[in-house]
Amino acid sequence: MKKILLLGITILALHSCSSVKEYEKEKINDPDMKLSARPEERFETNFQVYREASSGANGGKTGGGCGCN
Amino acid sequence: MKKAIALLSFLSGFSSFAQEQDSTDVAFKKRVLETTEVDFLMSYYKQDGSHSAVSGGKGMEELTDLTPTIVVAMPLNDDDVLTVDVGLSAYSSASSGNINPFDSATPSPWQASSGASAKDMWVGMTANYSHSSDDRNTIWNGHVSGSAEYDYISIGFGGGLTKLFNDKNTEVGISANVYLDTWSPIYPKELQDFADNGNTLNGGIFNNFTITGNTDYDPKNFKFHQDKNRNSYALSLSFSQVINKKLQTSLFMDVLHQQGLLSTPYQRVYFADVADSFINEFQLADDIERLPDTRFKLPIGARLNYYIDETFVLRTYYRFYTDNWGIQSHTANFELPIKLTDRFTVFPMYRYYTQTASKYFAPHEAHLSTEQYYTSDYDLSSFDAHQYGFGINYTDIFTGAKIWKFGIKNIDFRFNHYTRSDGLDANIFSFGIKFIQQ
Repeated sequence: MKKILLLGITILALHSCSSVKEYEKEKINDPDMKLSARPEERFETNFQVYREASSGANGGKTGGGCGCN
Repeated sequence: MKKAIALLSFLSGFSSFAQEQDSTDVAFKKRVLETTEVDFLMSYYKQDGSHSAVSGGKGMEELTDLTPTIVVAMPLNDDDVLTVDVGLSAYSSASSGNINPFDSATPSPWQASSGASAKDMWVGMTANYSHSSDDRNTIWNGHVSGSAEYDYISIGFGGGLTKLFNDKNTEVGISANVYLDTWSPIYPKELQDFADNGNTLNGGIFNNFTITGNTDYDPKNFKFHQDKNRNSYALSLSFSQVINKKLQTSLFMDVLHQQGLLSTPYQRVYFADVADSFINEFQLADDIERLPDTRFKLPIGARLNYYIDETFVLRTYYRFYTDNWGIQSHTANFELPIKLTDRFTVFPMYRYYTQTASKYFAPHEAHLSTEQYYTSDYDLSSFDAHQYGFGINYTDIFTGAKIWKFGIKNIDFRFNHYTRSDGLDANIFSFGIKFIQQ
């Protein structure tokens, strides 16, 4: 049953993964749909890098600066 | 049989990508950036906790930080954009103030010092140049950056290449960055004075205070750092895909290598096998934290954004992180923008974070002096964290409101509360306003 479900999801996902034309991207181009952090989010990311041991993989800065306070 | 069907479906999916003609071939060339954009950004951050790394995992962590920033993006021609980002961060920190708590007659890890190290300012600048091809399917960029604070200087440079395919539904990117940082190490005052006076108690603060507890204070492990550089090298890969008219996703992976002075020179460590010495109620350091001089980090992240309807959008983010200091973490982030009108959007948000401890971490007085590496910095401990808040966005695509030659395109405000399972709490307010040159 699980395999059938997985197969169904795979086919559905790939079928829905068709090319979207530029004139069909009204919803994709909505500012809230951007695949990046919002500009003000940088400050939150900044303190999280200070207060947590992990960083990166968010399309942002990957090093530099101390962050020791 | 099922596997064969799945394989065929998979291959047919990819072949349909390949057969698509790019319908965005150049009929005319739209400018990458129409006009100069200016972002004023600002944040106010305040935290408190009870595990100060400067006091070896015990002591107040009160800190406030104000960060005004300006970002200017200028079109140089139809294809090229120069972005300059200048910011500063003015902070006051009770924790770092206790690098020297002995400017008080009653030194304590639980009171803020008024010493010079209690305040500092970070200033930073990044300049980024990007060029887009005529068909806008190839973008390359290069950047340089620099930042400075009292005891730390960082210089960075890097570049990247992004390619778009499949009617701009697929995007892959690669970038490389290098940061060359230099410490001007500051050490805990008692260790500095002990070493400056030939590893004796004849001088410095020891002339002004009486040591209690173990009066024969002798931090044998302490020595000054010889290597003052910290270099970071990062290779970043990204992939994004429009899945359908309402759903898109992206994957990120960074491979980071750091080498040099990776420990913080003013973070104290207290050993379980060394008798305790005090001045007033401030315990004198047995050593500073010692960490390996290399670190390899591997974070992998993904975003998935779904346009639910004209009112709701769902933004999600997940990251897995691992490094060779024994830390693994998971981050999950959710944001639900709600369009109240065509100009106002509110967005509640929630972030969950969990990490395992570094193999070099132990709490106050839990390390042994015979260990090679040690730290009592709770940022490297095991904890969970919850962050929740909301944001408000105002957007006027017609930029009706104007200041001089600039129209206001959007205004953003965000508030988030952060709470860590070790007791650290923080609040952060962020504000941004974008102007477009008319």
